[in-house]
Amino acid sequence: MWLGSAVSEEDKLDRADTGRVLRRSLQFAQPYRRSVFAALGLVALSTLCVVLGPVFVKFGIDRGIRRESAGALNLAVVGYVTVVVIGYCVGRLQYLAINRAGEGFLRDLRVAVFDRLQAQSMAFYDRNKAGVLVSRMTADIESMGELIQWGLLQFVAAGLLLVMTMILMTAISWQLTLVALAVLPLLIAASVRFQRQSNVAYLDVRERVGTNLSTLQEGIAGVRVIQAYHREDEQVRRFTQSNRALYRSHMRSVGVSTWYFGLVELAGIVAIALVVGVGGWLVHRRSVEFGSVAAFVLLLSNLFDPVQQLSQLYNTVQSAAASLHKLYGLMDAVPDVAEHPKPITLPSDGDLVAHGLSFTYASGDRPALNTVALTIVAGERLALVGPTGAGKSTLAKLLSRLYDPTHGHVSFGGVDLRVASLSSLRERIVVVPQEGFLFGGSILDNIRIARPSATDDEVAAALAAIGALDRFAEFPEGLATEVRERGSRLSAGERQLVSLARAALVDPAVLVLDEATSNLDPGTEAVVEQALERLMGERTVIVVAHRLSTVRRADRIAVVDHARLTEVGTHDELLAANGRYAALAHAWSRSQPTTGD
Amino acid sequence: MACPNRSVDDVRTRRAPRADTGTAPGWALLRSMLWHQRRGLAIGMLVGLLWTAGKVAVPKLTSRAVDRAVLGGDSLLRWSAYIAAAGVVAGLFTGLRRWYAFRESRGTEMRLREQLFAHYQRLHVGYHDRTQTGQLMSRASSDLQQIQGFVVLIPLTASNLAMVVAVVVVLAVQQPLLTLIALAPLPLLNVLATRFSRKIHPAVLAVQVEQAQLATVVEEAVSGVRVIKGFGAEAVTAGRLRVEADDIRRESLKAARLRSAFLPALDLLPNVGLIAVLGLGGHRVIDGQMTRGELLEFMLYVGLLIFPLRNLGMTLAFGQRAAVALMRVNEVLATVPVVADPDSPVELPYSAAAGMAKGAVRFTDVSFGYDEDLTVLDHFDLSIAAGSSVALVGATGSGKSTVARLLLRFYDVGAGSVAIDGTDVRHLRLGDLRRAVAMVFEDTFLFHDSVAANIAFARPDAAPEEIERAARLAGAHDFIVGLPDGYATTLGERGFSLSGGQRQRVALARAIVADPRVLILDDATSAVDPSKEHEIREAMVTVMAGRTTIVIAHRAGTIALADMVVLLDEGRVAAIGTHQHLLDTDERYRAVLAALSAEENDDESDDENDDASDDPSDDASDDGVTRRAEARDVAR
Repeated sequence: MWLGSAVSEEDKLDRADTGRVLRRSLQFAQPYRRSVFAALGLVALSTLCVVLGPVFVKFGIDRGIRRESAGALNLAVVGYVTVVVIGYCVGRLQYLAINRAGEGFLRDLRVAVFDRLQAQSMAFYDRNKAGVLVSRMTADIESMGELIQWGLLQFVAAGLLLVMTMILMTAISWQLTLVALAVLPLLIAASVRFQRQSNVAYLDVRERVGTNLSTLQEGIAGVRVIQAYHREDEQVRRFTQSNRALYRSHMRSVGVSTWYFGLVELAGIVAIALVVGVGGWLVHRRSVEFGSVAAFVLLLSNLFDPVQQLSQLYNTVQSAAASLHKLYGLMDAVPDVAEHPKPITLPSDGDLVAHGLSFTYASGDRPALNTVALTIVAGERLALVGPTGAGKSTLAKLLSRLYDPTHGHVSFGGVDLRVASLSSLRERIVVVPQEGFLFGGSILDNIRIARPSATDDEVAAALAAIGALDRFAEFPEGLATEVRERGSRLSAGERQLVSLARAALVDPAVLVLDEATSNLDPGTEAVVEQALERLMGERTVIVVAHRLSTVRRADRIAVVDHARLTEVGTHDELLAANGRYAALAHAWSRSQPTTGD
Repeated sequence: MACPNRSVDDVRTRRAPRADTGTAPGWALLRSMLWHQRRGLAIGMLVGLLWTAGKVAVPKLTSRAVDRAVLGGDSLLRWSAYIAAAGVVAGLFTGLRRWYAFRESRGTEMRLREQLFAHYQRLHVGYHDRTQTGQLMSRASSDLQQIQGFVVLIPLTASNLAMVVAVVVVLAVQQPLLTLIALAPLPLLNVLATRFSRKIHPAVLAVQVEQAQLATVVEEAVSGVRVIKGFGAEAVTAGRLRVEADDIRRESLKAARLRSAFLPALDLLPNVGLIAVLGLGGHRVIDGQMTRGELLEFMLYVGLLIFPLRNLGMTLAFGQRAAVALMRVNEVLATVPVVADPDSPVELPYSAAAGMAKGAVRFTDVSFGYDEDLTVLDHFDLSIAAGSSVALVGATGSGKSTVARLLLRFYDVGAGSVAIDGTDVRHLRLGDLRRAVAMVFEDTFLFHDSVAANIAFARPDAAPEEIERAARLAGAHDFIVGLPDGYATTLGERGFSLSGGQRQRVALARAIVADPRVLILDDATSAVDPSKEHEIREAMVTVMAGRTTIVIAHRAGTIALADMVVLLDEGRVAAIGTHQHLLDTDERYRAVLAALSAEENDDESDDENDDASDDPSDDASDDGVTRRAEARDVAR
């Protein structure tokens, strides 16, 4: 109805980008080209039907009424009926055709962008904010949905209607056409101005809606603190401020359309006055027939409505183009951890060796890891320790090829991980993230994510292997229990058990653990500890350790400090060396409470 | 998360079953709102009538101009000028008509939103525990939008109705039969528009539900990317996304089919009227019963009625949606805050000058439960002398956090009383009570404002020196000056994010600025790196000096800060004494401590966070979850 969308200055595309977006979209719409062409043909036909209505009125008046021929009048009526019926049928079909093409296009776009996102490495996810990625896949694509449902059709139809009406008018009477077009330049100038103003106004509204919602949310989510410090009135005052600002912004945007809609109305009626006045004079001079004047009066709305529609749609089309541009940009990002063109299957077992690894984050100027060399013998348990941000997590990520190193390489059983097939890599080396992240679905689904081909029995066996089967089997719906949003139905400990069961299902040679810093109740803690112990078994284990108890259970300890591997050895060796590890172990034991016993 | 208009919550809220209390109270709410705006609405309707007059005049004038000037001998210029003049009137008032309609409807929306927000602020914590943030958000956003969408139509519909009546009267006077036939199909427009609005609404909602589901898959894939990459499970999520993308396409096409069934028909109907006018009217002109100008006039009038009639259909459908929204908004506004100022409040005895005790706290035979059948505190007695500090220790669910919440009067006791300096907290103004008691929450909620404003939250007029002094005492000054804009750095969800320890130091500083008689510290070391823990403890010692302090201890190390330890067990005081005394004499105390330190050995975080969501913006609402978890534990 009004001010549907807007596009900010920095998002506006230049001519070259617009061309690229258009070409790319046409390519993307290839599978639907038949629907697209059908829709275009149908739109043209239905527009023609709209335009022809007044033509039959003219025919009826000039041939029928003026010459008092009932037959001609009846013919006009029949013609009009035919056109209207065709218009109706075509109208129905055009909606279906355009939507079939449009929704298909959007569906493919969703799938393509998502697949591309999934192909990206962890480094990509570190660089890009999760919120932005999600909004590309949701808000950006949804905003185009509106355009496809009605906008595109209207855009084409409005353009066609304008052109056809002008052609028709000229055919009826060039003199009257000039008269009718007299107000058009004014209307076009006003529409261009309106389109710009409304874009600015709508951007402002959108921003203030966002601010107002944040203030609202803050007031609700922070209500306990607000009440505890008795700041209710202050919060209400703040909210009132942003709420009033939103109101004023709304009214500014209404103000923009107020003058514009008034002007459009005025122009339409003035055009009637002109056609009647000048047309009457022409009728007196017998240059045109009265029927032509009547037809023009009826045709005028076909001339003015499209101009108005085009100016309003312009913003929508621009913002859709901006969204597409961003989406295509996302699709063009080349994944930096990709499968080697001639992948090798990793051996089933072997040593994991880091050869002079260095790694620099795209956002950082200093290396996060600097020439680290380390050999982890098959079956060994290695604890990585060090201060936060020293690089121990980065090392773990490189060892499991979540990232590729900037320099050096990692090998397993003598094979460079970068030439290993991704499927064999994920079978040999499994990373168990510190938080037990759950997806929507059942417990079964959640475990099976590690190996989609696994049967129910295999999943149960994996749970049994870590000694956690009974715990889940006890649930009323057993393993089929839906975990609900983010696994809220399960306790933190149970979520970690699911996470461990995933690893057990894969049965890898190497486990990379980022130790949980989150919290469990003591009962569950013991169960999780046991499960972890059974999972680690005889496997090679690399654990990013936060707890002294974990470190003590490791065969060897590697200390990462300031991006370098500073010490490697057993607990006793390193204590004796009295270096960084000794200091850390000391700090750990000091923070233990003095419980007296 | 930041997009509340189409969040999952939103959709769920709309579909949630609710007690049907009828829409009458909702309409009453709207009536009272509109009564306050009666002047603006009246002007809007008046302007609308002028617009109607201008619009209705045009076909009439055109018809006269045709018959008298184009086909007759009258001055063409004069008649053209008449038409143009009608155009000026219509043009002027069409804009104003919209302007007033929006001014009033946005005004209703704005005022209702402010009422809602003020009410949210006053509603007791128990209400907020039970109600999701998302629900309250959608009351104040999407529900109000529905109401605004209806209110804007009220003055517009009034003038549209006037136009319909005027046109029908003008035409019927001239040609009753032709009027009947020409206008007969038009009421169908109204019927069709109403039906369309009613049918497309659920279809659009269905699309939104599917879009929300796809958003969930994408959100999971992005936040769970470590799991997906770790197991190479890209194909699984890709499969899910395809299912959702196909669902969206399916539902969208259903909506498209509805549009294709209705919209062309809406375009078709007016043409039926035009054809009737051409056929029947044409023959009448030939027979000399009607002029050519009148024929054109009829056609113009039929065209004029299209939008008003469609609009009437929309108004009905919007009215139904607004009724539901009004009911929901009214439900919230009609909820009476349970915890409120007393009718005849008592002043808290002022202390220093009179040399009276300052900050003595007494719980007398208090029983309380969050739900009726779950008792959290059971005949609980506790007396804390002014100026002393007490650590509350107990297993999860023993009620230690509840004690603090009752003192702040977040909830009212079921039985017994809570008194501060001899005065029952229920006899005090909430403002007085909450100035006397300050709490440092386990999760620090930071507002989208500067560091200084966050610290001066309790007293926005605090001088910069006071703020800095508080920050120094809380051990926060050093890191604050290191922030991009120092004390002016903007914090909060959309601002600079601080670490857990930094947040807690800001919260401590906030409590220092508040300068309360009684300070409650819900263990402020819980979210801190163990190596930083002692820094927070030092800050806590400074703040506690000479002030009545209640420490809710989640960590064994924090207990040492208090003069006395109170051991809670199943809602009662199990033992009181110094840490050492209890350690020597009480078996249960040793057991609880052992449990605390067992957790602590392995955890860097705190024990009540189990249910916390990943979303930091949920900080405060986690309180509710935690408390429900506590209640659940108690029930076992």
